[in-house]
Amino acid sequence: MIPMEYFLILAAILFVIGAYGVLTKSNAIVVLMCIELMLNAANINFITFAAFNYDIVGQAFVIMSISVAAAEVAVGIAILLNAYKIRKTTELDEAELTSMRW
Amino acid sequence: MIAEYTWLVPFIPMMCFLIIGIIGRKTPEKGGYIAIAGALCSFLIAVAISYEYLTSDAFAAGQPITESIRWFSIGDYTMNLGYYVDGLTCAMMLFSSFISTLIFIYSLGYMHDQGERKNRYYAEVSLFLTGMLGLIVSSNFLELFIFWEVMGLCSYLLIGFWSFRHHDGDAASANAASAAKKAFLVTRMGDVCLMGGLFIFLNLFHTLDYADMFANAGAIAAANPELLTLGLLLMFGGVIGKSAQFPLHDWLPDAMAGPTTVSSLIHAATMVKAGVYLVARAFPIYVMDANVMLFVAIIGGITAFIAATMALNNMNIKKVLAYSTVSQLGYMILALGAGGYLWALGYHELGALGFFAGCFHMINHAFFKALLFMGSGSVIHGTGTEDMRLMGGLFSKMKITAITMLFGCLSIAGIPIFSGFWSKDLVIDVAMAAFNNGTGDAATWFIILWILAVITAFMTAFYMFRMWFMTFMGEPRENAQHCHGESPKTMTMPLVILAVFALISGLFMFFGLGDMLAFQGVAIDGVEHGIELFSNPYTYLTLALAAIGIGIAYLMYVKKSINPGKFNKDGQSWLYNALTKRWWFPDLYNQISWKLGYGVAKGVNYVDRQIVDGTVNGLSSAVVGGGDVLSKVQTGHVQDYSSIVLLGVSVLSVLFLIVAFALGGL
Repeated sequence: MIPMEYFLILAAILFVIGAYGVLTKSNAIVVLMCIELMLNAANINFITFAAFNYDIVGQAFVIMSISVAAAEVAVGIAILLNAYKIRKTTELDEAELTSMRW
Repeated sequence: MIAEYTWLVPFIPMMCFLIIGIIGRKTPEKGGYIAIAGALCSFLIAVAISYEYLTSDAFAAGQPITESIRWFSIGDYTMNLGYYVDGLTCAMMLFSSFISTLIFIYSLGYMHDQGERKNRYYAEVSLFLTGMLGLIVSSNFLELFIFWEVMGLCSYLLIGFWSFRHHDGDAASANAASAAKKAFLVTRMGDVCLMGGLFIFLNLFHTLDYADMFANAGAIAAANPELLTLGLLLMFGGVIGKSAQFPLHDWLPDAMAGPTTVSSLIHAATMVKAGVYLVARAFPIYVMDANVMLFVAIIGGITAFIAATMALNNMNIKKVLAYSTVSQLGYMILALGAGGYLWALGYHELGALGFFAGCFHMINHAFFKALLFMGSGSVIHGTGTEDMRLMGGLFSKMKITAITMLFGCLSIAGIPIFSGFWSKDLVIDVAMAAFNNGTGDAATWFIILWILAVITAFMTAFYMFRMWFMTFMGEPRENAQHCHGESPKTMTMPLVILAVFALISGLFMFFGLGDMLAFQGVAIDGVEHGIELFSNPYTYLTLALAAIGIGIAYLMYVKKSINPGKFNKDGQSWLYNALTKRWWFPDLYNQISWKLGYGVAKGVNYVDRQIVDGTVNGLSSAVVGGGDVLSKVQTGHVQDYSSIVLLGVSVLSVLFLIVAFALGGL
């Protein structure tokens, strides 16, 4: 039996990697992928607790969260594609995209 | 049951107003015939209604015929719309619509050269008539108030009829505009009072329907006399404004800036009669308070006297007539006040006589004043001026106008047989009766009012005949020489009809008018009172004074054996100046409106601009400025946002851990 801590540490590492990517990467596609990493870290936590506590609700939530993530990515990619069409860039720190704020 | 169709009486002129307003331009005389037809229809319906009412059981029992439908209700208060037919309603309806018909016919001639603008004129006079007839047949005070305001609007529009383009130039049109504004604003002061009075009545009676209010007047007066007094005084404020009573009388002479037909309409058939009508209509409530009635009588007497003095030396033919109207209105109010006072003291016979005298004088005045105004219109039409110094010797050129106007002058001067004699002497009689039966200070007041009324009768005879002699006798002066003869038939025909009425309308009292104008079932025996006038020594006193007045006017303006300049130091004396300056009332109004009105307006303007607007503007600029500063937080870098979110989450997690430790968990 693999101890529970291993799973939790794996999830924490994945989450921190994702957060680091979101904060540092300038390419919007990479940022989206990093967000996926963070989401999946959270999913691993759900599964872990579900398995160790014999509670099916955790698994159900993961299914839920994956479908929400899929939808979110679809919206994110759509926004990104449109931004690219108009601004001709996907670099988040370029003036073309930062000037969209107001 | 034609009385069920009483609503048609104001409704027909209103339809005429709409029809003339919309398609009148395409009809002959720009809608003039439609207006005449409408007024005539109203008159005929009024005749039918009056016939039915006066032959009905309700009349025999002294009851009105009234009916109303619910209009709306607020809380416990229900407002109705309906009609209320009694003797007073019938009398008012008949003479208003009849005289209006004649005035409209006369307008065909008088306004003939006004072109396209005739359309506006006929539409507005129709609406004016709607206002008056609606006011007369209303079954409650709210309905009355609405029509009252309709008339206020129409008087404004019609007095200012020449404010856009006057045939005498820009100064005259500016004068018309300011006269219209003055009439509107001064009567507005009264209207606000009236509205306040109606609020008090609504509070006291929980209804504004005449029938209910009159039935409960006694109980309310016993339960809450102070509030009732206040309500009655406020309501009388409305009368002071509308009927041009002292001290709000000054708008009426200025209102002469309108066309003469409009003056005739305002003075004879509508508008100023509305105020007197309101007192007569609310008489069952008024008689609950003797002191209010004394106040009413005092205002009436003072008005009669002051207005008559100002007519003495005026050179404008229309203004002389305007002052005489104010003066005669004062008589009516005096009669109602004195009669109500007597009724309140319990002298019901004399009280009803006062009521009758006031209403009777109103009817007679309507006939002879319409006649006089239309006669003066005919003179103005012929000579092209309103200044009597430029007229003279017109008798040979305008025979019909001169003779009909003579009838009017004889009537207003109170010469026997002519209508004014009967009603004016009844008014003076009632004032004397109030002196004889009054108590304490009131009796003193009534003897003063009686003296004022008698002096007024003398002055009336003088200034009316001064006007007639200056216009029609003596040698023709400047404009009179260019006079092109008698006015067209449409103008002289109404004059002749009205002259007949000025002669005979006083005799109505011998043929049942006393029963028609009975107050709460106390009818006046017209024959008895008519004959009594001749056995009363005071009647001969007023007659003698009137004769002296006419004689002086004759000596001054025809024989020229008395030089009027001798009395006024050739227009230099203090009194003469006071009269030409109308006892400084216009100056007083100006001072009040500049100092008080304008001062208040400036203060309100300051509050509005600086405080109200300042608060709103300050608030909005604070929000805009704050938004500007805060918008700098938005850098546009996604990473900045996510760092803030992450930081926030971390801080929250740390806090959570600390709290958990502190609570001894883990």
